[in-house]
Amino acid sequence: MTAAVDSRGLGRESLAERRSVRRRRAGRAPTPARIGLYAFLLTAAALFLLPLYVMGVTSVKPMEEIRLGNLFALPVRVTLEPWAQAWLSACTGLQCEGLRVGFANSVAIVVPSTALSIALGALNGYALSFWRPRGAQALYAVLLTGAFIPYQVMMFPLVRALAALGVFGSLPGIVLVHTLFGMPVMTLLFRNYYAGVPRELFMAARIDGGGFWRIFVQLMLPLSLPVAVVAVIMQVTGIWNDFVLGLVFAGSDHLPMTVQLNNIINTTTGERLYNVNMAATLLTSLVPLAVYLASGRWFVRGIAAGAVKG
Amino acid sequence: MTQAAITPPPLPAPRPAPARPGRRAAGLTLELLALALLALAGAAPAPALAQANRAEVIHWWTSGGESAAVKELAKAYTAAGGTWVDAAIAGGEQARSTAINRMVGGTPPTAAQFNTSRQFLDLIDSGMLNDVDAVAAHEGWDKLLPASILGAIRVKGHYYAVPVDIHMPAWFWYSKAAFAKAGIAAEPKTVDEFFAALDKLKAVGLVPLAFGGQPWQEKIAFYAWLAHAGGPEMYLRLYRDKDAAMVQGAPFKAFLASFKRLKNYVDAGSPNRNWNDATAMVISGKAGVQIMGDWAKGEFAAAHQSAGKDFGCFPGFGPHSPYLVAGDVFVFPKTADPAQRKSQQLMATVFTEPATQDAFSNSKGTIPISTDVDVQALDPCAQIGVAIMKDAARQLPSPEMLVSPDLEGALQDVVTKFWNTNESVDDAARAIAAALKS
Amino acid sequence: MTTPSRRPPLRHAMAWLALLPMAATVLWVYVGSVAWSLRVSLSSSRTLPIADFVGLRQYERLFDSERWTTSLRNMALFGALFIVGCLVLGLLLAVFIDRRVKGEGLLRTVFLYPYAMSFVATGLVWQWLLNPELGLQSTVRGWGLAGFNFDWIVRQDMVMVAIAIAAVWQASGLVMALLLAGLRGVDDSLWMAARIDGIPPWRVYASIVLPQLGPSFATAFVLLAVGVVKVFDVVVAMTQGGPGLASEVPAKFIIDNLFVRANIGLASAASSVLLLTVLALLAPWLYARGRAARRDARRLAPGQAQARPDMPGAPRRPAAGAGGA
Repeated sequence: MTAAVDSRGLGRESLAERRSVRRRRAGRAPTPARIGLYAFLLTAAALFLLPLYVMGVTSVKPMEEIRLGNLFALPVRVTLEPWAQAWLSACTGLQCEGLRVGFANSVAIVVPSTALSIALGALNGYALSFWRPRGAQALYAVLLTGAFIPYQVMMFPLVRALAALGVFGSLPGIVLVHTLFGMPVMTLLFRNYYAGVPRELFMAARIDGGGFWRIFVQLMLPLSLPVAVVAVIMQVTGIWNDFVLGLVFAGSDHLPMTVQLNNIINTTTGERLYNVNMAATLLTSLVPLAVYLASGRWFVRGIAAGAVKG
Repeated sequence: MTQAAITPPPLPAPRPAPARPGRRAAGLTLELLALALLALAGAAPAPALAQANRAEVIHWWTSGGESAAVKELAKAYTAAGGTWVDAAIAGGEQARSTAINRMVGGTPPTAAQFNTSRQFLDLIDSGMLNDVDAVAAHEGWDKLLPASILGAIRVKGHYYAVPVDIHMPAWFWYSKAAFAKAGIAAEPKTVDEFFAALDKLKAVGLVPLAFGGQPWQEKIAFYAWLAHAGGPEMYLRLYRDKDAAMVQGAPFKAFLASFKRLKNYVDAGSPNRNWNDATAMVISGKAGVQIMGDWAKGEFAAAHQSAGKDFGCFPGFGPHSPYLVAGDVFVFPKTADPAQRKSQQLMATVFTEPATQDAFSNSKGTIPISTDVDVQALDPCAQIGVAIMKDAARQLPSPEMLVSPDLEGALQDVVTKFWNTNESVDDAARAIAAALKS
Repeated sequence: MTTPSRRPPLRHAMAWLALLPMAATVLWVYVGSVAWSLRVSLSSSRTLPIADFVGLRQYERLFDSERWTTSLRNMALFGALFIVGCLVLGLLLAVFIDRRVKGEGLLRTVFLYPYAMSFVATGLVWQWLLNPELGLQSTVRGWGLAGFNFDWIVRQDMVMVAIAIAAVWQASGLVMALLLAGLRGVDDSLWMAARIDGIPPWRVYASIVLPQLGPSFATAFVLLAVGVVKVFDVVVAMTQGGPGLASEVPAKFIIDNLFVRANIGLASAASSVLLLTVLALLAPWLYARGRAARRDARRLAPGQAQARPDMPGAPRRPAAGAGGA
């Protein structure tokens, strides 16, 4: 059997095979199994969408309707005012300029943090998987255990350490912190992925005279696109929605958008405008959602490691 | 199907021509790294502008109403020649812990908001705060401010915080419409009258007590009820004297039973409810009474309801009921910068000026720190508060002024368990005594 | 774990150089913080660290605390519900979507979108939904089913289940995506052969495909386990630990004592105990994995693909009996 390996190294049906399957399926009535399958999926989808429905409906109601407490009722009077307020004019302290203030900062934090943490994760996964220097396995085990520690526990020593380095309260500081905390999961992702790449590829490259860096850049990185996309999704979501680390380590000039979001939603003793809160949350989640949608195709194939079919 | 022997593709030659996704991947990586480097480079801090009396202020006033109040403080400070740099963080605990982290990290703010409480005692002990003795002496704080406030800001003879307002955390808010429907003619003047009013509300199908079952709200209801039903003496013996023997005695257990009796008047959906949702029940007339701080006024105002017409407020039962005193202060972290020191002194002076206090209290709904103010501009409930504050005998400091945050938290755990489970009065008393001793 | 091959020292050095950031992170951030935390747990520190020594007093206080023991119990219950719930739901969704349904892209987004939102606001929505006066119970009763009960969130004994529901809602999309990718990595030729042999799809899944998903399950399990130990946002947003102490969790205990109650000595003791618990559960698993990997490495002859247990969706020899030779 000589199945084709496409340019991404993933197995694919031939065009002829796909056509024949479709022709066979076209004229058949749906079986009970098929109906059951769709029923399950659609029910699950409806249940998953329920909170989103409540959020959406609440975000376009005026506060008088919300106070009545009818969660599921459609708005009597639809208003987009909360959305405008959330973005432009919601009060977040002395300023009342909404979420947009922190948007650029969030981007400035997310992009380098994602790039750096993924680069290091790939490097670690590569070194751990193929080269396996002595003692690295133990180090990896400790790293993975570190992922379980709530990071608030590490706050004080980290604050002192970064202050000693002179990067406390700065953009490089927050990028460093995100990279450090992202390392365990990123390394886990890439290491498991590279473990699925057949060792023969690597050995052949060694035989051909490739060195550590050359093999990494020219062979492994191109193969890693799928898992890199998965890593991007996880890191972008996590770092974009992060609040506490950005608040403490980013310094007042680089506070991410989540600080404004928290100020809008979590006011302790002020009045709460639930419609603005919901609109603000939905607005904030648009960026990770956009990343999901853009990379949806790769995401699904992402973690599959099958590089070569036999 | 067997696994055929694999002949791996050859390593790309020195001038590699990788497959297109590979090239895209490598290119993407390089672009991301370049972007990362650019962002880091662009993040070099701008040279500090010479700003007169630049002050970075951490506080937790972030809602619309609170923002208007902070603007008054900032306006006054700017008018006095300062520059206000705002660093608002919603959530009291979040704001305070960020301020502490910044102090530990060496980039402290110029001023940080705390409660009139014992929250900043450890910071004083560690020498991390500047004192404001000069301002206190100049303004005559020891004659101006009530004793309870002085007790919190004056530590070991030095003044370490400037008070900006006085809160009352346990007003009784009620819906006029609900009272009318239940046939309650006048505000209750005793505990028994209060229970009778609650019964009347229940009889007409309304929720008698609008309650948010979150631990901090249960704590407020607890010490408010202790002050009113147990009495100021019992209150002080618990919080000020930490009298574990008194707690195990019969009168205190009777009070605990009375407190638990309130549970019969809350609805089934009360656990976990936000305080605003409970106020909304009063606003819409679905519920009769809520025990909540003066910040609830903001919700009534947002719903365009006015005191005396749509809702009413009373601070306790009868003309001699205790008045609980809480508040907000600003502390000034120690810095090496003499310019910062000047800003801090300026801020302390500006905050306590009568004009600033008037404007701020109006906006915030709190009452000013000294009683010689123009009450006409304040809302009806605040006017009642100012009048009561003139009588020092009625003032009771809130628990956070008397006990450490640790003990307050331990008591809160006991109270929330007692409120939410079938724990007996004896067990609860025992648990409180144990918490006091530890 | 090193293969017994001669390796030029230069290559070895390169690998170690590349791993320097990881080594530095592990030692400086994780080991260093844990060591600091252990030291603080032996002191009487309140808001700020104090360099005295009080022995095990904080630990005594910790285990006397009913709130801590309740937190541990709640975490165990939540962990079981959450991990099983996410794995089962994620697997079902992945398997069903794998069957080439129409609108697959849309369905995937629907199941993934909860992951994009932080719990600060979605937690409030769940609180409303599960509130008996406001949410599903009152709505369904309004439709006529008067006996319908769904007030778990206000009940001491069921509140952790309610929280687990919201948490599964948020995380099962990610598990679905992980498993779906693993499923998509399965040889298409396997499916063709099964079709030719007339084996029903469910049997193919049960006997052939699912075993190959072992590594994907392992990754998903680790990610979910990390979420269980660190669970905080969903509890604070939905119930703030209530009603009473019924939904307290260890991370909330630690953070409350760190920041609110000015008690970092007690918080450090709690986090040390938590870490010890995690280690106690993790060490046997890591050890077993290490042994299995070593055993496979020894067993396989050179020239064959190594079947290491931590390979996600890698091509493997199909189980005997599935398809022709």
